[in-house]
Amino acid sequence: MPRSLVTNPDKCTGCRICELACSYRHFKVFNPARSRIRVVRLPHGPVDSPIYCIQCGLCIGACPFSALSRDLRTGAVKVDFEKCTGCGMCIHVCPYGAASRDPESHKALICDLCDGDPECVKICPEGVLLYLDSDDAAEYKRIAFSRLQRKEITPLKPDAR
Amino acid sequence: MRLDLLKLYLGGTGYAARILWDGLERGIDPLSPENILIACTGPLTGTLTPCSGSVEFAFKSPLTGIFGQSRAGGSFGPKLKYAGYDFIIIEGASEKPVYLSIIDGSAEIRDASHLWGKTVHEATDILLEEIGDLNAAAACIGPGGEKLIKYASIMVDYDRAAGRCGGGTVMGSKKLKAIVVNGDHEIEIAKPDEFYEAAKEAISVVGRQRISLGQFGTVGGLRGLNESGALPTKNFQTCYYEKAEKMSGEELARRYLIKRRACAGCPIGCGRYVWVPSGPYITPPHEGAEYETTDMIGVQPMMESLEPLIKASYLCNTYGIDTISAGNVIAFAIEAYERGLITDEDAGGIKLSWGDADACLKLLELIIERKMIGDLLAEGVRRASEKIGRGAKDFACHVKGLEVPAHDTRGTTKSFAIQYAIGNPRGACHIEPIWVGVWDFSRSSLGLRELGLPWPPPSRFAETGVGRGEACRLLWLYGELASILGICRFSMQGGEDEILTPARLSRLVSALTGWELSSQDLIKISDRAYTLKRCFNVREGVGRKDDRLPRRLMEPLTTGPTKGQKVESLDAMLDETYEALGWDKKAGKPTRKKLRELGLEDTAEVIWGG
Repeated sequence: MPRSLVTNPDKCTGCRICELACSYRHFKVFNPARSRIRVVRLPHGPVDSPIYCIQCGLCIGACPFSALSRDLRTGAVKVDFEKCTGCGMCIHVCPYGAASRDPESHKALICDLCDGDPECVKICPEGVLLYLDSDDAAEYKRIAFSRLQRKEITPLKPDAR
Repeated sequence: MRLDLLKLYLGGTGYAARILWDGLERGIDPLSPENILIACTGPLTGTLTPCSGSVEFAFKSPLTGIFGQSRAGGSFGPKLKYAGYDFIIIEGASEKPVYLSIIDGSAEIRDASHLWGKTVHEATDILLEEIGDLNAAAACIGPGGEKLIKYASIMVDYDRAAGRCGGGTVMGSKKLKAIVVNGDHEIEIAKPDEFYEAAKEAISVVGRQRISLGQFGTVGGLRGLNESGALPTKNFQTCYYEKAEKMSGEELARRYLIKRRACAGCPIGCGRYVWVPSGPYITPPHEGAEYETTDMIGVQPMMESLEPLIKASYLCNTYGIDTISAGNVIAFAIEAYERGLITDEDAGGIKLSWGDADACLKLLELIIERKMIGDLLAEGVRRASEKIGRGAKDFACHVKGLEVPAHDTRGTTKSFAIQYAIGNPRGACHIEPIWVGVWDFSRSSLGLRELGLPWPPPSRFAETGVGRGEACRLLWLYGELASILGICRFSMQGGEDEILTPARLSRLVSALTGWELSSQDLIKISDRAYTLKRCFNVREGVGRKDDRLPRRLMEPLTTGPTKGQKVESLDAMLDETYEALGWDKKAGKPTRKKLRELGLEDTAEVIWGG
């Protein structure tokens, strides 16, 4: 059974250690702009949240150069860097902003689940990132999806001096 | 950057001290265009090293007139590096308000007329939108800096403060409202695999502090300090506060904490994202209520609830003034009012008294607006007490002009008597170079035993003959590494198995730079930077005569577990410390021999004469 990357976003403190680990794992440098996972912090609300590829595969069909495919072993989207032209179609269709362009090579940056051993999961100090059997991961996905329907009860900017 | 200087200073405030030593003439006015403001990172900033989200600012302080430095967390330091720079050196001054934008390697000075007068929170919002990158980091001053309040802070990422010494005042004098940075440059590593292994280990080690510092934040220690008789209260009259429970980190977590927040690269997450959701002290969600703030603005004036304290902390952040200095002057003003040295008229009809939180908030507004007595208090406690006269100096708690923060020379440990008197190049500060209480108060050796730290530590109240001078020297030189390497001091205080010991730092720095630097090498680099900062101060006229404590911090404590504790033999403690540091006891200057050892012969010529 493939395993899936899921999160427990309430625990995220916004430290961005995952971004550094990701850029190191793939490029041996520290550069959040080359990370496939990105932490978003909303300045006036209690939100620190890792945004990552959920491996939906929407980009696979959209790629005009057939550079993307599903790795059947890990379930991850695989980028063929020979074929990728950096056209940006995958970034265009990605609903989450999880696909981006590598500032160095100008090719697609899409999470490859570190070939089945995601570095971000291993290093996250808060246990926000989880890599679970897909059955178990599904529950986290349902919770994440249900959050979209949660009513916002936190006033973002009360009228205070 | 110059490689020869990098090898000697590595980076951070060590390298910056060299720039300031070379670039500033003795005696320049800190608020004149001649002053230089440096924003600096260290080699470890922005890497996977735990707690490497630091930016340090260095300048000549308008509050003290000597070496000034101040640090903030957040993400400015790392993002400055990702923008392609290690340092920003700001010289001169602008005629009209400007801000500096450094994005992806290109720097631009832009008009900031529309930002002048805006609070830190407002200005940061506008700036990020204007440059079109909500992920960028802004270092910004508020109206405090614009009005040249002498302890104005530089605020980073909205709520992280480089608070001390008036860096924001220097920015205000240069009409520089903000610096915004971001980019996609990368940090390369000489030995990537070795570095990664060392960093991973370090993250798991430092991450152990999540259960202590992470859970209740820096203010989590407040209750314990109070029980030990180490919680400065009532303008340092005592170190015990009966209502400390109400001001504790536990209370904060229970009622006002929205979530924990971490600076870039930090596995601890001591940041408190808090708010007061309703009532007279309502605030927006923000990062605030640190230990120092809570003691200085909450406990010192004897507030009985966290709500006005959170409000005051928020106001200081968004108006851009240092919470420590602000709290110190407020407590001073209450005492001066009580003694009739400040009149109702001076205070605009505000009746100041211990425990009156609303009066404190009103006084804070007077300071922010520089109105009536607030205008004088905005000059800092030294100038205010000199102006008020009539014995006000006796209870004005500062050293070399820097307001004493929330640890005590009598109640916490006698190491603080040395720390405040001489340990810190910038004056009375507990955290630069390090919280010296780790040795005998918290009883940790920090991995310094092999470097000669006296062990086991003595009673925290013992003054001389217990190796306090030598211990402080080692602690300082170790702590100095934080501001050189660009990391947070909280990654360096705690048990040996939860911090970046010198051995761990040596492993990280060596793998990053490719230079083999042992613990000893690092300590020597640190010594060079630390000594150079002292030389800077000596050039400005500082000597042993200035290495004093305010009278209040020598007097016996009046209540609580440490009642009766006082500082008896400051001079003898200082003698031990000068000796350990290699400084001349009489003059309080680093000796020629010492300077030669460190390769600082050129400074010897200036401070001892050719």
